Amino acid sequence: MSALLIAQNTFRETTRDRVMAGMVLAGFVLLVVTQIATPLALGEGTRLTMDLGLSGISMIGLFAILLVGTSLVAKELERRTIYNLLSRPIARSAYLVGKWAGLTAALWTVAIALGLALWGTLALRGMRGSAPAVFEATYLAGLELSVVSAIAVLCSSLSTPVLSALYTLGFYLVGQWSYDLRELASKFPAPLSGILHIVADLAPNLPLFNMRTLAASGQVTSPLHLALATGYALLYVACMLSLANAAFESRDFK
Amino acid sequence: MHSPAGSRSDRPVSGRAPISVTRSERDLAVLTQGLTKLYRNPWTLKVTRGLEGLDLELPRGEVMGYLGPNGAGKTTTLKLLTGLLKPTRGAGWLLGESIERPASRRRLGFLPEQPYFYDYLSGMEYLVMAGRLSGLAAHDADRQAKLWIGRVGLGDRPGLRLRKYSKGMLQRLGLAAALVHRPELLILDEPMSGLDPFGRRDVRDLILEQKHRGVTVLFSSHILPDVELLCDRVAIVSGGRLSRVASVEEIVHGAAQRIEITCAVASTAEIPAPWRPALAREARPQGCLYVLEREALLDEVLAWLVQSGAGVRAVVPHRTSLETLLLSAATADGAPPREPESEPERRSA
Repeated sequence: MSALLIAQNTFRETTRDRVMAGMVLAGFVLLVVTQIATPLALGEGTRLTMDLGLSGISMIGLFAILLVGTSLVAKELERRTIYNLLSRPIARSAYLVGKWAGLTAALWTVAIALGLALWGTLALRGMRGSAPAVFEATYLAGLELSVVSAIAVLCSSLSTPVLSALYTLGFYLVGQWSYDLRELASKFPAPLSGILHIVADLAPNLPLFNMRTLAASGQVTSPLHLALATGYALLYVACMLSLANAAFESRDFK
Repeated sequence: MHSPAGSRSDRPVSGRAPISVTRSERDLAVLTQGLTKLYRNPWTLKVTRGLEGLDLELPRGEVMGYLGPNGAGKTTTLKLLTGLLKPTRGAGWLLGESIERPASRRRLGFLPEQPYFYDYLSGMEYLVMAGRLSGLAAHDADRQAKLWIGRVGLGDRPGLRLRKYSKGMLQRLGLAAALVHRPELLILDEPMSGLDPFGRRDVRDLILEQKHRGVTVLFSSHILPDVELLCDRVAIVSGGRLSRVASVEEIVHGAAQRIEITCAVASTAEIPAPWRPALAREARPQGCLYVLEREALLDEVLAWLVQSGAGVRAVVPHRTSLETLLLSAATADGAPPREPESEPERRSA
């Protein structure tokens, strides 16, 4: 119950943040600009709209996490607003889960709003049948943002807002290139190769949530892929929040 | 000092607190045993003492002032009790629940020192959230929030965002947030700081009202007249250690008094021999000053002075104040001594 209340408050905090409003506006502007640029795409206007629209959801979500999400816990520590929460009958784990849930709910709201705007734009271009691909891709982008926001909560509970943002960005980049990292690892001798493999395994498997190329060609993914991605995201989020809780549980708020 | 009848021999002085407490201990709103907080610098490994071996008992319904100089360990104690700091050793209970459990804070209202709030919320939104986080149902939280925002004088603009609140308004809101769920125990860290005289009076009235309602209050303050007015007892902490617990009655009325008698005439009459150890005369430019160390002799001395035509103009008792007691505790612990001030109570002669 207390996690839900904290989630509601975090959702309110995130959605009332001007940075977040600016990000959403940027997403809509991107779609408009894409439409202006489509005559230059040599007949690939729909593909360009789909590709940029879906990339926009992921990028805007990532920027929102880096600018707002990574400071969620750290800012509470810095401004000492956390005193007002943790001096009430709230477990620290509930506080962290609430923070993540509130941030994630705000990101899903943004992703759904931009996904609907993208679908609307494609429908206006005569691509009404693109709905399944758009919504599947939006769903996977939402899962990806849920995973990255759990990493942001972990980093934010351990460090300052600036360092949290850098760590989260690092995790995101390594996660995006985890397949390339594995390939690179095989080219190195034994100890380094092993280390790179471990890094690639620990980093989030973010390519699992990327079906932009597929969606751009109007195709949908399999239910198994969606189920696997959902399960993986839930598991990864649980691990990140458990780690954050382990660090947070013994922490003193001076 | 209250002493619970139940045995606590099974309670460890360090490590995790036992789950249960005896029945008589449930009559205590706050109980700590050997509560210790040491801070270790991660780089130099130097250990600093925040609080050491605090044994404190606060019966339900009592108002206790928690006093001490800056850095004495007051805020550390209050943060340990409210779960914001984890004890290095020892244990504590709030209303019979171990402070290690979030449930111990269900019936607790806490006002931190210089409270900070979410500036994107309005006062009303914040109070509703505070009430709900302390376990109130939605409709009850809403009703209580409306009640308390009015009680602390912020009801005329309940929708105003907190970023537009002044420091005094934030302090009042913090107090309302501590009270919104009708707590049985209030822990207030410097509740009067940052308030103007009107705000201080309002906070004093609120604390007195809660005291009459049977709420236990533990608060730290540097404003000693307020402490004298509000508290049943005071605990003085210095250098991380509890140095004294005493009732205000005991301090204010039980302490020896020195009485100064100002006379208009520089009398040369010899002081009667039996009074000489307790009565001294000092010459002044106009008249003289008699200093009486034993209050019991006052009537006799005054009668003698009137009879001898000394022209008594003023009788001023100087009592041992809370401030003197606090300063002596701090000085005994090695804190820099400050000039003690006695608090005169002027009585016209």
